[in-house]
Amino acid sequence: MVHNRLSVFRAERNLSRKDLAEQVGVNPQTIGYLERGDYAPSVELALKLAALFDVPVEQLFSLKPFAPLAASLKNQES
Amino acid sequence: MYIRSKSRPAGRQMSTPIIRGLIVGLYTLYPVGCILQLLPESWGGGTALSVAGLIAVAASLIMFAVLAGSSLQRQAQEQESELDERERADRNKAAFYAHSVFSSVVLLGLIYIMLTTDMADAGKLDLWRPSTGDHWNAIFWGLGLLSVTLPGAVLAFGKAPPDMD
Repeated sequence: MVHNRLSVFRAERNLSRKDLAEQVGVNPQTIGYLERGDYAPSVELALKLAALFDVPVEQLFSLKPFAPLAASLKNQES
Repeated sequence: MYIRSKSRPAGRQMSTPIIRGLIVGLYTLYPVGCILQLLPESWGGGTALSVAGLIAVAASLIMFAVLAGSSLQRQAQEQESELDERERADRNKAAFYAHSVFSSVVLLGLIYIMLTTDMADAGKLDLWRPSTGDHWNAIFWGLGLLSVTLPGAVLAFGKAPPDMD
């Protein structure tokens, strides 16, 4: 299974699923399926999304579950 | 086969329960309607049942017309270049499953007709089997409806689409 932080990045940029879908050329429902973890994207789509958010692809997608955001922030502070 | 309209190029969005209800209605009303309409008088058939059967078949065709304009039917039947990678992947899985179900239905139907014909010829058991043009007509259009709606039905009974924000 491929885990992702798509919803976090999308919320941070204040993008709707429709806006994001238009920018990477997919159906808005596909963004929903990705966020829900029901669909693993192709390399091409993963790279497009990473480029759009200007982050390395491994910050957006991972084979291991991402740590919760609150825990990550706490680790950074300590 | 799906209906493309200028106002809704991506098809009509319908909720999962509605689309599942339409599919169940289509797959129930069409065969029931045909049976009622073609039931011989010696088996209890008559004008009233024939009219009821006709109404059931007409209702199933209306359900098919609604489904034909849906976004789900579009995903099942649209040309590949118009779909994104997730839609294509889901459609391919659905088409494979639909093909297996459809070919199994046709094969089981043929086996049934072969066995009932053999048994009737041997004078053992005279079960119903299609014998008139009306019977074959009902089967032909039923299989036609099944073949064009089955991939969409498989998609409809898969994972529900996410809620839109």
